[in-house]
Amino acid sequence: MTKSYGPLVTAATALLLSGFTVVAPLSAQTVLRLDEHAIGEIDPAKATDYADSMIFYNIYDTLVIPAAGGTDILPHLAESWTIDGQTYTFTLRDDVQFHSGNMMDSEDVAFSIERKMTLGQGFSSLFAGVIESVETPDARTVSITLTEPFAPFLGSLVRLAIVDQDAVLENLAEGDYGDLGDYGQAYLSSTTAGTGAYTVSSHNPQELTVMEKNPNYFLGVPAEAPDTVELQYAIEPATLRALITRGELDIGDQWMAPEIKAAVSAEEGVSLGQVAGISSFYLKLNNQRPPLDDVHCRRAFAHAYDYDAILEQTKVTEGIAFGRRAHGPLPLGVLGSDENIPAGQFDLDAARAELAKCQYDPSEYEIQLNWVAGNPIQERIQLMMQLNLGEIGFDTTITTTPWAMFTELAATAERTPHVSPVNFILTTPDPDSMLFTMYHSDAVGTWASVDWVMNEEVDAMIEAGRTETDPATRAAIYRDLGHRLVEDQVSVFAYELVGVFPIRDVVHVPALQDEGRTYAVQGMNFMFREMTMN
Amino acid sequence: MNLWRYFLGRLLGSLLVLFGVSILIFGVARLIPGDPARIALGPMATAEQVEMMRERLRLNEPVVVQYGEFVRDLFRGDLGISLYTKRPVTSDILSTLPATFELVIAAALIMTLIGVPLGIVAARYRNSGVDRAANLAALLGVVTPSFVWAIFLMLVFAFALDIFPIAGRVSRGAELPPTVTGLLILDSAIAGLWPTVFDALRHIVLPAFALAMGGLGTAARLTRANMSEVYDRQYIQLARAFAYTEREIAYKYALRPAMVPTLTILGLDFAIMLGNAFLVEMVFAWPGMARYGVEVIIRKDLNGIVGTVLVISAFFLIINMIIDIVVAYMNPRIRYRDQ
Repeated sequence: MTKSYGPLVTAATALLLSGFTVVAPLSAQTVLRLDEHAIGEIDPAKATDYADSMIFYNIYDTLVIPAAGGTDILPHLAESWTIDGQTYTFTLRDDVQFHSGNMMDSEDVAFSIERKMTLGQGFSSLFAGVIESVETPDARTVSITLTEPFAPFLGSLVRLAIVDQDAVLENLAEGDYGDLGDYGQAYLSSTTAGTGAYTVSSHNPQELTVMEKNPNYFLGVPAEAPDTVELQYAIEPATLRALITRGELDIGDQWMAPEIKAAVSAEEGVSLGQVAGISSFYLKLNNQRPPLDDVHCRRAFAHAYDYDAILEQTKVTEGIAFGRRAHGPLPLGVLGSDENIPAGQFDLDAARAELAKCQYDPSEYEIQLNWVAGNPIQERIQLMMQLNLGEIGFDTTITTTPWAMFTELAATAERTPHVSPVNFILTTPDPDSMLFTMYHSDAVGTWASVDWVMNEEVDAMIEAGRTETDPATRAAIYRDLGHRLVEDQVSVFAYELVGVFPIRDVVHVPALQDEGRTYAVQGMNFMFREMTMN
Repeated sequence: MNLWRYFLGRLLGSLLVLFGVSILIFGVARLIPGDPARIALGPMATAEQVEMMRERLRLNEPVVVQYGEFVRDLFRGDLGISLYTKRPVTSDILSTLPATFELVIAAALIMTLIGVPLGIVAARYRNSGVDRAANLAALLGVVTPSFVWAIFLMLVFAFALDIFPIAGRVSRGAELPPTVTGLLILDSAIAGLWPTVFDALRHIVLPAFALAMGGLGTAARLTRANMSEVYDRQYIQLARAFAYTEREIAYKYALRPAMVPTLTILGLDFAIMLGNAFLVEMVFAWPGMARYGVEVIIRKDLNGIVGTVLVISAFFLIINMIIDIVVAYMNPRIRYRDQ
């Protein structure tokens, strides 16, 4: 007897193709779905990346917060503060509840600082050597004394999340920290112990973090804000495009190729949101390596960079580009930025004139133009530089390095390539987080400081900005520093980066879509409580 | 009894290979340029913080001492902390390996259940239109990279035709089963969650096909070649002379000897897919280990690299061993020769 499996196979196939829609439908709650390129870290003491920051500002809160569209620092968990020399005394709000239901008090602040500094990861470097002592005279008062005057301190506090001490201490695992076990690392890598507008309901750092609205948030969360947020990680651009077009993703990441963003934005119901004023793109020139240790050669290089042609390449659509003209090292809008700093000009005759003043003969040097693998725009820029530097007499070689190799090369001036493209995003609203990291002699040896400026006068100006507490005077110092760095042409200030995000019209994101609502901190523009679902 | 001795010999050999691999990868991972502590902490970290991290990671110890401590921890099931995810490598691998394993099993099933019959049909109808069509299909599978298949299948069957989901392992809102094996389809079936089983099956179809296409082509071509060779033997002609049906000849007399080399290659393909699943996982946002493996290399996450390579190597060796035993079972000459 011959058995026929045909009907069975047909039924199974039909079931598969039909989607077997008995999967439980989602509730009527609003769900925001977005993605980020990198994985997500939810322990606030370790968070550094863009995705980490997006989560950080939704599940935790900080003592202070930067003003949207400005440079002021505003109260948040701290309702006020006083500054007495090197001592900052914060008065805390008395109505802030952690996700556990515990009330926040000054002990939690002291614990959060101690934990961050002991673990020594994430943005703890902002406070390393800065904080001398922390005192908690009462439940609502925290006094932090600094080792020396440090004006960026207030701005740095936007990277200090306040964690629930009791919840962490109740969930210690075995670890290297004595009585404190693992200091709550295992616990805080899978859940939240914060006060934020959202709580974490599930977290897989490589796949997806799901966050839910916190009904007890001390500022309240508007009903229009998304009830649930699903942040997905590391999705391929072609897949992202399909997901957005099909309405299965509401906000795409800024790292998608411009042509994909353009194609997606042409779809009905999709527009492009933008964030400017928090990051810049530089062609870093190695100031210690001949012939670029001569300012005239560096200026020749800056004139050989075709600013307009590259800006043209940053266009996503006719009206939107991911680059805009740079005026010095700081993005416009940051304290001390100055639009009067002249933007660079492409001029090969001027380049030749500068080269004539340079002590080196171009024909004696082969210039290494490096780009980091996986960044096609960097390759295009270096090809353009190769062409233009060839016009003024330089032999060049283009090298491609993986990221890890680049960080290794950056460790010494001798091995750092002559020209290296670098993106830098503000990690705090204070310009010091950018200028010190890139240009101070104590910060050399990292990918951010591959220009190896090593200039005592520049160091002194950066240090003056750190110790001066009057904002107006600080702004003046940073403006002068900006002019000085351009005059010395320590880098080619290529363009300011503009984050461009595809957004479906089911959601409105004020920080990305409204004028003057941008926060000058990485990731903070994704505070879900400010968004509205249509 | 002979088979047991054969198995023990293979097991011992595999353990030695694994030991060698562990030394090799431990050393090679440390040759990748870049200071892992600096990469992990970023440009703003102070020199003291970087040094503290190096101490914590024992990077200042001689490599031999580091390896000794690694082996000691390994026997406790501890592969260290990943600098990439900041979580234990063991947890990372345990949370991602089942997804990749499930995908690879599905791909292997497709590879075998379609590739082998395709080869049989092509061999049975040699030089006919069916043979040429099967050859063309097999060739397409072999020469087209898996990520091209992934994008093609996704664009056609998920995006344009909307038959299958675009990405992920299961739909949002699906009821998830308690973890037993980590294999979502199997766990859902164990828990009786049939809607989740079918939803997960719909999600796995496209990535599994994309991953299987290369191996499917190889399986078909190998089966055809081996079967053709067997069909030319005299005992097949004798079977025909005795009026055995073509079906009997194909499955009873031709397939078994023809399958020995095919099985060996299929086994290797199966293990290789575990490492090669990366691009397919990327396209379909599949939360697997292959993607993790690539990221840890880019970021010079030493513990992550060593852990991932060891798991893939162990998997490779286990599959190889199973295949060797199956082949030895099918062909007694092999186990006798190896004694």
